[in-house]
Amino acid sequence: MKTIIIVFLALYMSGCSQKLVRVMPYEKEYFAQDKMSLSPIPEQSEQEGHVFLIREASAGGNSSFQGGCGCR
Amino acid sequence: MKKSIILIALSVALFGAPRVGDKAVEFTLASLYNQTHFVKSDSFQGRVILLNLWASWCSGCQEEMPLFVKLQKEYPKEKFEIVLSSIDNKIQGALDFLAEVDKEKSLTSLYDGDKKLPKAYRCPGMPSSFLIDKDGKIVEVYVGSLDEEAMKELKEKIKALLGV
Repeated sequence: MKTIIIVFLALYMSGCSQKLVRVMPYEKEYFAQDKMSLSPIPEQSEQEGHVFLIREASAGGNSSFQGGCGCR
Repeated sequence: MKKSIILIALSVALFGAPRVGDKAVEFTLASLYNQTHFVKSDSFQGRVILLNLWASWCSGCQEEMPLFVKLQKEYPKEKFEIVLSSIDNKIQGALDFLAEVDKEKSLTSLYDGDKKLPKAYRCPGMPSSFLIDKDGKIVEVYVGSLDEEAMKELKEKIKALLGV
C-alpha cells in the first residue's frame, strides 16, 4: 500500500515538475516575437557580418566560396 | 489496495489528454469578431467539425490558414465546419491576420485568450487540429500545419464521415 502511494506521488510530482520547467507550445507567443530572435534585424546582422569579414580579412570564413581577400 | 488502484485510474483519467475515440472537450468561447457573443460546443452537434487551435504568431498556422479557407468553401457549414480557436494574448493580432486571409469570414472564429482548449487537449505542438464527428467524438488529431497532401487525406476522411 505504502509503495503504491509513494510510486503514485513520485509520478504525480514528476508530472508537476515537468510542467514547471517546460514551456508548452501554446505559451510561446513572446518567444515568437521578432525581438526574441538572435538577429532581430537581418539587414543589420548582415552589415555587421560584412564589416567583420573585412576587418578580420577573413571573407569566405563563413561560407564555402570567396577567397578571403576581403574585397567583396 | 483496490482503493489505490481506483485512485490512480481516476487520476490518469482526469489528467490524461483526450485522444482519438474520446469525446471532444466541451467549451464555451467568445466569437472572435463579436466578443459579446458566446458559442457553445453543443451548437456544433450533428456536424463534422475541424477544430483548429491557432495563433497569429505561429508560422505553421499562417501557412495552413489559406488551405482551410479553401476547404470550407467546398462544404456547406451545416455539414462540415472549420472552427478556429485563436489563443493570441492580444485579439488584434488574430483579427489583423484573418482580415487578410479570410476576408469573407467564411471560417467560424472563436477567441480563447485563456488557452483553455490547448490546456485541456495538452497540445504538443502548434497548430493542432482535431477532426470531430457528428457525435462529438475525436476522429483524428493533427499536430503541426497541414499541407496540400495532408489536406487531400483530410478530405477523404471528411467524405467518409459525411457519408458522401
